[in-house]
Amino acid sequence: MSNEDQVMIETVELCKNFGELEVLKGITTKVNRGEVISIIGPSGSGKSTFLRCINLLEEPTSGEVYIEGISVMEHKKDINKLRQKVGMVFQQFNLFPHLKVIDNVALAPIKVKKLDKEAVYARARQLLARVGLSDKAEAYPAQLSGGQKQRVAIARALAMDPDVMLFDEPTSALDPEMVGEVLDVMKQLAKDGMTMLVVSHEMGFAREVSDRVLFMDAGIIAEEGTPAQIFSNPQNERTRAFLGKVL
Amino acid sequence: MDGLYNAIYKNFIRDDRYMYILNGLKITIIIALAAAVLGMVIGVVMALGKTSKNKIFKALASTYVELIRGTPTVVQLLIIYYIIFGSTAVPKLMVAIVAFGINSGGYVAEIVRAGIQAVDKGQMEAARSLGMPYGMAMRHIIMAQAFRNILPALTNEFITLLKETSVSGFIALDDLTKGADIIRSMTFDPYTPLLTAAAIYLVLTNLISFIFGKIERRMRISEQ
Repeated sequence: MSNEDQVMIETVELCKNFGELEVLKGITTKVNRGEVISIIGPSGSGKSTFLRCINLLEEPTSGEVYIEGISVMEHKKDINKLRQKVGMVFQQFNLFPHLKVIDNVALAPIKVKKLDKEAVYARARQLLARVGLSDKAEAYPAQLSGGQKQRVAIARALAMDPDVMLFDEPTSALDPEMVGEVLDVMKQLAKDGMTMLVVSHEMGFAREVSDRVLFMDAGIIAEEGTPAQIFSNPQNERTRAFLGKVL
Repeated sequence: MDGLYNAIYKNFIRDDRYMYILNGLKITIIIALAAAVLGMVIGVVMALGKTSKNKIFKALASTYVELIRGTPTVVQLLIIYYIIFGSTAVPKLMVAIVAFGINSGGYVAEIVRAGIQAVDKGQMEAARSLGMPYGMAMRHIIMAQAFRNILPALTNEFITLLKETSVSGFIALDDLTKGADIIRSMTFDPYTPLLTAAAIYLVLTNLISFIFGKIERRMRISEQ
């Protein structure tokens, strides 16, 4: 199997109910290595839930999730190992407020992977440089702006050397002037070949950076295709209605 | 002036009566310190139980807290002394430590539980998404933050615990209160020994406030 075609994430008929409410009604898709996928759609369409089901932050009601060919549902005991392959960035950043920026980045590799401390800190500094925050290593999260927090959160996820990165509305909680700095980091990451799933309302990013766009509505993938197909020539009525509102 | 000297002489100096106070103070401090440690351990375990998804663990922890909160400390002390350790040769001091530790644990459990639940749920998700197992995330992320938030409430609990040990006399332990009361019964002077005991408790409780205040301030500075 060549690297290009290696399937990183696969979901089959993935369903999730919250009580009576069916949030996901059978999501089947594949994500290949190096692909950048944007997931767009109206609020409540299940985008975030779909993302959270992939690393089992939400437990799927039925269906299958495979991470690099391994069934997550059948290997719940190994979930901590599987999660190491899948980094996640949250809308609310969720930095650890009691730890310095550098320790936010270094904690998991040291504790979870039991790597050598000095090597981890050196790598953490590299990652902070990569997101443009070398000078904030010794700061606490409370001293950072929203955009800086989110960039630290990205560095923190990258520190575990994941094969896939999940972004759950990474710019939705940011002031408009800070969106750009976070998107720039994400673009660079995409350029470097990271496999990415991005739930976002940033249509510019979806159009420019992604290889494929999934339009979700009411718990299903209503339409998918290249950015050109989705944005310039949407086939589905609901896609057209949605894009008409947001563009 | 003569009256004050006489009172001090009669209550403390004659026959080395100050030893009742000194020995009592020692016993009070030993019980309070050891029970505080035991109470913290029990409290953290019960708080983990109350926030656990495991139904049995949760039910056990809830029952524990309700039992402790719902019955008087003196009754708990007597039950532990006469019933649980009734036919054993366990020293009274140990019985008191266990009793007050179990008692304090019930209150600490509620304090710690509130602290855990006050930490944003995104913190646990972020930690788990990095591959941390539940216990590791609980310790390094949740508890580390909860502890700061609950320090004032814990200070309160330790002060309460110290004062509660004054009922140790019920199982014939000569703690500070009992020591003062023994002097009173010898000299028929209630004022001097009891006010002295009260003053010592006041100094001790203020010392606890002072120490925890310092810790709290230091933690806050590290976050700025």
